[in-house]
Amino acid sequence: MQSNALAVFLSRLDFAWITSMHILYPPLTIGLAALLFLAEWRWVRSNDEHWYRLVRFFEKLFIVNFAAGVATGITMEMAFGILYGPFSQAAGPFFGQVLGYETITAFMYEAGFIGLMIFGWGKISRKMHLFATFNVALSSSLSAMWILDANSWMQTPAGVVLKDGFFQVVDWGAALLNPDVLLGFPHMLLAAFELALCFAAAVSAWFILKGQHVALFQRALKPSILALAVVAPLQVYLGDGLGRVVADDQAAALAAMEGHYHTYNPDGSVDTSWQVIGWPNAAGDDFAWSISIPHALSLIETHTWNGKVTGLDDIPAQDRPPVLIPFYSFRVMVAAGGALVLLGFWGAWLALRGRLSAERVSRHRWFLRAVIVAGFLPYISVWCGWWVREICRQPWVVYGLMRTEDGVSHMGVLEAALWLAGYMAFEIVVWASVWYFLAKLMRMGPDLTSPVAADGHQHLGELEVPKHDPDALPSYIRPI
Amino acid sequence: MNGLTQIQSLVTFAWWIALDFSVLLYVLLDGADLGAGIFSLFVRSEHERGAIMSAMAGTWDANETWLIVAGGVLFGTFPFVYGSAFPYLMVPLALALWGMITRAVALEFRHLAEARWQRFSDIAFGVSSLVTAFFGGMAVGAVLQGFPLTNTPGTVPTYVGGPWRFISPFSLWTGVAAVVAVTLSGVLFIRARFEKAEPIRQQAAAWTNRIFYLALAAVVITLAASAELFPWAARKWLGPDAALWALVPLAVVFAAVQMRRAVAHDRDLAAILWLNLGVAIMAGAMMATIYPWLIPGTWTIYSGASPAVSLFTFTLAMGGFFPIMLMYNAYQLWVFRARVSALAAYH
Repeated sequence: MQSNALAVFLSRLDFAWITSMHILYPPLTIGLAALLFLAEWRWVRSNDEHWYRLVRFFEKLFIVNFAAGVATGITMEMAFGILYGPFSQAAGPFFGQVLGYETITAFMYEAGFIGLMIFGWGKISRKMHLFATFNVALSSSLSAMWILDANSWMQTPAGVVLKDGFFQVVDWGAALLNPDVLLGFPHMLLAAFELALCFAAAVSAWFILKGQHVALFQRALKPSILALAVVAPLQVYLGDGLGRVVADDQAAALAAMEGHYHTYNPDGSVDTSWQVIGWPNAAGDDFAWSISIPHALSLIETHTWNGKVTGLDDIPAQDRPPVLIPFYSFRVMVAAGGALVLLGFWGAWLALRGRLSAERVSRHRWFLRAVIVAGFLPYISVWCGWWVREICRQPWVVYGLMRTEDGVSHMGVLEAALWLAGYMAFEIVVWASVWYFLAKLMRMGPDLTSPVAADGHQHLGELEVPKHDPDALPSYIRPI
Repeated sequence: MNGLTQIQSLVTFAWWIALDFSVLLYVLLDGADLGAGIFSLFVRSEHERGAIMSAMAGTWDANETWLIVAGGVLFGTFPFVYGSAFPYLMVPLALALWGMITRAVALEFRHLAEARWQRFSDIAFGVSSLVTAFFGGMAVGAVLQGFPLTNTPGTVPTYVGGPWRFISPFSLWTGVAAVVAVTLSGVLFIRARFEKAEPIRQQAAAWTNRIFYLALAAVVITLAASAELFPWAARKWLGPDAALWALVPLAVVFAAVQMRRAVAHDRDLAAILWLNLGVAIMAGAMMATIYPWLIPGTWTIYSGASPAVSLFTFTLAMGGFFPIMLMYNAYQLWVFRARVSALAAYH
């Protein structure tokens, strides 16, 4: 057990930092891979060059994002062992195995096909390329499934017993299908799709607003917005379901994210009110002030008028999670999710009246501006949602079974601080270069002139004759 | 930590082979990329440096995948080892990781960078290749030395010795040796990947000679130091089976001679394969020397294994994904096999 509270806190901060900086990238990889597949599929089916140009353009953005996701992801694979050694040992028989599954059935699989997807244009046939894109999309979703499974098990650790200092798996089925993952994974997967739809729509809206390539990007904008009108409400529904799982299995977590300090009112009646916003008092055992709606909490969590919801005062003091960050993170996430529902409906209404056609879409400037802003909302939501999940689980690393201070490595304050400083600098550099290169690709815009990649045929046994124009500069040094 | 059934012990043994296989494939495949990166520090033409990166652009990530696979197998099958060795190796791993990511950024984004940044990113590419190779080698040396564990009943033994214990003359030496070894692999890679008339191939050929003797010396010194420092190694090598162990250097020398002949006759792929064979024989011999330890004196493969290892998972991985991955790797190397010139287009 790590007894230095500051070192524990720094270790938590270290991990929070690298996780937050990692989760910026994989959701776009997952969602955009699926969108790339759909667009490429339409190209292969219809032979319509517009789809090809869109695929090639968004694929460039995809690659920049993917590279950052891998770089920050490898950091995570090492950080479990380095920062949380005792946790990795104790939870290894389940947790390590699941991450091992992720490596084998998702990462290996994805890395295999992504090289073909990026570099295979013109070298392999169109259908083979489409197949590669499909596999990238499928494998990245599989990856999310395993990661969420491992994380959900930390929330609702089923199927194990803690013996001899580590978690022994007694029921693989129960552990893999633990209560939290059944909605936790769909919620995350849908978040990835929602994020990618908003990203594609925002990029398209930016070009349309500038009057560039309107006909091309209208093709990406309209279906993205229509899909958002379906996905965003579905996400709210899944989120509500997940909230009730948390209410059932992690009473302390729910009380923290809802700022629900008291199970009962001073007069003995059940406290049913939902706090819209508020600020905790100095002692941290109640709100100093808050705006609340009576009965709303009971309605949300129990779907009854006066249902009892466990408050923080029913949780032993040493087992209570912090309130402030989860409380506000949760509200920001919900607000962003709600805004995306409204945006989806607005877009669907415009589309139904034919106003998102190539001729008319440019006139709806406020809508386009809103779509650009909405490109950032899912990122904020994903961050906030993840913070709710992780902070509400405190002070446990495995909920109810293993405390965080028992799971962290025996690092001194100095090492933990140095690691944090090093990786802060590093992840910020990665993040800044992603921004820089995405902005550069946006400024360059889609390539509409180079010939459409032909069906290449690289049959085994055929030797390629190197061919270049000796006078031309290679493309890698061509100013772009 | 040893309540494994007989079948589990067998599966653990098989996983250990798979783990070593993944690490070996990583060393063979990415070692060449790292070495080419180190070599690029000494290449004057920026076009040639760009072409070196182009030559590995389609395959470097698949090569590094094997390291991530090794990490996954380690966490999944040997969590007790993973959770204690990584805090011990925190500094070299963090620096090697820094190198790998810097390399990736420099390589992938070179064609997007402004001209004045290209010189900077080329240096970053070379230096980060060097850093990765050196600290990777240092981590291997530190593992061979082992580390102390806690001994508290009712808990899993773990590491509490602080982040600097990995530094020793031996681990510093293995870092240097790793740099020499990957540079040899890198120059052979350059020779195989560039068109025969390219001047960079001549530069690489000159390097091959010098680096070869350096690598030979590095191997001999490492073996002598191991025999001197590690009783578990000396006991096996000089024990009753000494005659059998003597076959290993003979086989390695044979592979090295064949490699030299292949280089002399411009058979570039053959040279790489002979080098890889030599490295594989040495790696196999090292594993056999260490067995049954995974980390000498610290964890055996059985005490470090997860009690949840199962034949099912192993079959899934070995029957399904490893073969697919291998086939895919081979296909990818084939698709991107064409020789490049300094004018190689990065596409």
